[in-house]
Amino acid sequence: MIRLHHVSKVYGVGSARIPALNDVSFTLDKGEFAVLSGPSGAGKTTLLRLLYRDEWPTEGEIEVAGFPVSDLRRGQIPPLRRAIGIVFQDAKLLPRRTVFENVAFVLRVLATPRREITPRAFAALKAVGLSARAQSYPAQLSQGEAQRVSLARAIVKSPALLLADEPTGSLDDGMAAEIVDLLRDIWTRGTTVLLATHQSGRFAQIKRRTLTLTGGRLVRDE
Amino acid sequence: MLAFLIGEAMRDLRRIGRVGLTAVLLIAISLAALGCFWLLSLNLGRAVHLWRDQVRLVAYLRAEPGSDAVDELVGKVEGLDGVQRVRYVSKAEALTSLRRSLGAQADVVDQLPRNPLPASVEITPDPGHATPDGARDLADRLTALPEVEEVQGGAEWVESLARWQRLLRIIGLAVGGVFALAAILTVTTATTLVLHVRRQEIEVMRLVGASERVIRLPLLLQGTVQGLGGAVLALAALGAVYALVMPRLEPLLTVTLGLPHAAFFGPREMAALLLGGATLGALGGLLAKGRPERW
Repeated sequence: MIRLHHVSKVYGVGSARIPALNDVSFTLDKGEFAVLSGPSGAGKTTLLRLLYRDEWPTEGEIEVAGFPVSDLRRGQIPPLRRAIGIVFQDAKLLPRRTVFENVAFVLRVLATPRREITPRAFAALKAVGLSARAQSYPAQLSQGEAQRVSLARAIVKSPALLLADEPTGSLDDGMAAEIVDLLRDIWTRGTTVLLATHQSGRFAQIKRRTLTLTGGRLVRDE
Repeated sequence: MLAFLIGEAMRDLRRIGRVGLTAVLLIAISLAALGCFWLLSLNLGRAVHLWRDQVRLVAYLRAEPGSDAVDELVGKVEGLDGVQRVRYVSKAEALTSLRRSLGAQADVVDQLPRNPLPASVEITPDPGHATPDGARDLADRLTALPEVEEVQGGAEWVESLARWQRLLRIIGLAVGGVFALAAILTVTTATTLVLHVRRQEIEVMRLVGASERVIRLPLLLQGTVQGLGGAVLALAALGAVYALVMPRLEPLLTVTLGLPHAAFFGPREMAALLLGGATLGALGGLLAKGRPERW
């Protein structure tokens, strides 16, 4: 599902060169659940952004869901992203749209047939246990609920791969446990999951693979 | 999908409020200015066309020809290149015509000891010669005929009218162009505002894999709607001014230009104005800058 081959990323700020990733290689098979751990600034977010082509590598090759991401032309980026569900720490919900509209919005912009939109959006909300809040606005939700809506929005298009960047970063332990359960459910239904977190202990209950980044290097894969 | 995109465009229009309204008004002003000069030019064009059809040359004869010589002379003139129609006017006919045009003062003619008017030939040039150069050339050739004393008439003033028409068209394009530029910039600003207001939505759209077409189309649509709105306003304003002003101007037009009435735009011109408005708006929507999230 994911293949990184000697990938490096250096940010240029003026004349300064700031290395973010250094010679990272690994492969993640279809159906795996992996946690990308490491302290803040280790390069976890950069690595995820390379995978959905929000950044491009300075060196190395990346392949995601069959797309040669490191050589991807601009017109091929939307198809790549359609294959990936992405969850962020700040749920990135649209404040003027209801919970239902936030989830349905994804299907609408992807030209899903109209008759499929409502049932699929409700199914996604049901999967995260929020169908009763469909008509609420994001401002009326708790942080945990907002993150669950964000998960529903990520899975509504049935992606092959789910990327999550600190999905429990701003949640208390109770809310974080709900999100962990949901991620496990999504994984057990066949979606490959890669999540970046500096709180890998929260995912201890899931039998998973852990990739540890430190200073932009992959120092452990277990 | 189209319904969704149109819905998004309408939602954008509501969000930008006053800026969008300003853009619509500027498009309306630019098209109304353009349309105003266009209407003037259109009617002057009609007058030019009308008067070009009525360009006449009159060749005054040295002596009144006998009845046999009239046909020969008419045939000779008809044979000249650029002549469409020829009418012989005898001395007596000329005097009758003068009497008719004098109306109540026709008695003056009766006081004359003899008919002082010369016989003449009225020549209608064909359309190719109803121009200053064409008419001058024809006049030279008529003057060269031994029977002809003098040639009067020409197409100078019609051409002067045509020059005014061209000038009005240029002024209209220039004024309309300046306003159109301002309108495009305003639509661009309004669309940039839309991009700013929608930055979160656009970010989400890009992240979930929406194509650039889906992201950009609502912007293009809302620009087009603003343009069409402006064009409809401009047409309505021009129509209202025409309905109010024309009844008062028509007598003046009849006297000065010989036009029985002033024409308004036909369906083709109206469609062109609407299309122009839509294009201005669409251009503004297309030119908007602002990409909150890079690829």
